[in-house]
Amino acid sequence: MDCRLVTAATASEPAGDSALVHAARQGDRAAFGNLYARHARMVHGILLAKVPAEDVDDLVQDVFLKAMPRLSDLRDVSRFGPWLAAITRNRANDYHRQNRAVAAVTESLSEDDSEVPAASTASDTEAAMILSHVRSLSETYRETLILRLVEGMTGPEIAARTGLTPGSVRVNLHRGMQQLREKLSQSASGAKGQSGFDAEKNAAAQKQSNLRKRNEP
Amino acid sequence: MNDDYLWDGSGEPDPEIQKLEKTLAKFGHQGQAPEFPEMVVTRRPRILQWGIGLRWPQVFAAAAALILLIVAVEILRWARHPAANSGSGWEVERVAGTPRVESNATGKTGGNGKLGIGQTLVTDSHSQANITVAEIGTVNVEPNTRLRLVDGGAGHNRLALERGTIHAFIWAAPGQFAVDTPSAIAVDLGCRYTLQVDDSGAGTLRTTLGWVGFKLNNREAFIPAGAVCATRPKIGPGTPYFDDAPKSFCEALSKFDFSASTPEERSAELDKILAEARPRDALTVWHLLARVEDAQRGRVYDRLASLVPPPAGVTREGILSLNQKMLDAWWNQLDLGDVFLWRTWERSWSQEKRAGS
Repeated sequence: MDCRLVTAATASEPAGDSALVHAARQGDRAAFGNLYARHARMVHGILLAKVPAEDVDDLVQDVFLKAMPRLSDLRDVSRFGPWLAAITRNRANDYHRQNRAVAAVTESLSEDDSEVPAASTASDTEAAMILSHVRSLSETYRETLILRLVEGMTGPEIAARTGLTPGSVRVNLHRGMQQLREKLSQSASGAKGQSGFDAEKNAAAQKQSNLRKRNEP
Repeated sequence: MNDDYLWDGSGEPDPEIQKLEKTLAKFGHQGQAPEFPEMVVTRRPRILQWGIGLRWPQVFAAAAALILLIVAVEILRWARHPAANSGSGWEVERVAGTPRVESNATGKTGGNGKLGIGQTLVTDSHSQANITVAEIGTVNVEPNTRLRLVDGGAGHNRLALERGTIHAFIWAAPGQFAVDTPSAIAVDLGCRYTLQVDDSGAGTLRTTLGWVGFKLNNREAFIPAGAVCATRPKIGPGTPYFDDAPKSFCEALSKFDFSASTPEERSAELDKILAEARPRDALTVWHLLARVEDAQRGRVYDRLASLVPPPAGVTREGILSLNQKMLDAWWNQLDLGDVFLWRTWERSWSQEKRAGS
């Protein structure tokens, strides 16, 4: 494999970004809306790899509103995607700075089950569990894997939008998927041994819920 | 199984990936575009608007004059700072005192300066500055620092810290930002860190988030969050250690790396290090595998195996003969960062150096 392919940034861009950036710089809101439509999934995926799911939608809008007045700072209009990806990663870092210590959050993102809705079904729980495994991968792999599995982008699309080379994306997908499979199989074998414990946990949760109901006026 | 389906959805569908896609789709982007506010338009320079009322010969004459003016200004700029013209610069913001880019004071009147490729930023004992690294991060420059911009291309952002202290916070993908020091090169692998270099060229790298690769020739060190690594001219990076390690452990390590002059002295320091190593110090012990004499490697192997058992496929014989794949697999077992990222970057960088040399 040509190693330069793996790390050097690619020159390719999603066709038409440059024209849209030029138009948006002239105040064309529809053009900016088009840029949003093209890149929202990428922004959403990068954020989902770093911050709690319930805050992601707000932050997506925030990233675009932040990028809008700064379009004139973009030196190379063909690199709108990579530029927006950098703004997005920076916004995610700001989020952590504002909320709590970064290390603690990273840990909680990979460990907690906070993405499980209050009224969760078995499929919600399973999805949240899988997402938490993806998020426990190293940053490089989890970002690419979320763009592929959650946002439904293809490898070539991820490369074109983020500015990573196709080789780099392909390797990230392959290795990320390999690690995810390992985590899922570990988790499955752990779950078998834990079924008794889960039953106990569910009973305790039910007891707590009954207690709460009893105490309600 | 081949990865075509994972890559672009082509080829034979992989049922496991299809299931993951279906299960995780609910977390994907569903939102509608927000109502964007009125955009502020960057107006064209007025000189272009004047052109509309002119006749063609006048337009040509004006354009020619403008081109001559631009060429003259560029020649003057090039004569003063030739290197600044070799690429776009990074923005430098004054924080305190009077940081200087070459001989120019930065931000004295409130504006920001630019650090061009080949140019040097210097802070004196009262000055501090912030550098915006080509949209991928920031570098805070402490007083008494001398820093040069070596390269600012896409994916290849590189500084040289000649002396002083910088704090780097990079949010780009790993391997896109590097800092040369007189005794090693620091490569960002997705992190925040502080790098110090003294007048002798010796330095220290302290990582607070993510991890950093540190290298001189074949001597390499990986420094995860919470760890420190010293470096010395002509020797390169020492052995990294967590900054909460006992003082006696750190002292023995420093002597082992930089001052023990005979094999006996080194062996005595190694004994102390191995005896005092905590489970967390597997970071240090793993690095020692490649730094000790052949005769001592077995002791290091045994100690590391007692702290973090080697993963499947890693054998004592392989490690004693410094099999790179096995060393890497054991590193990954420590769960401090995937060494693959470093190998990819390192290979790419070496190829680039060879191509350019």
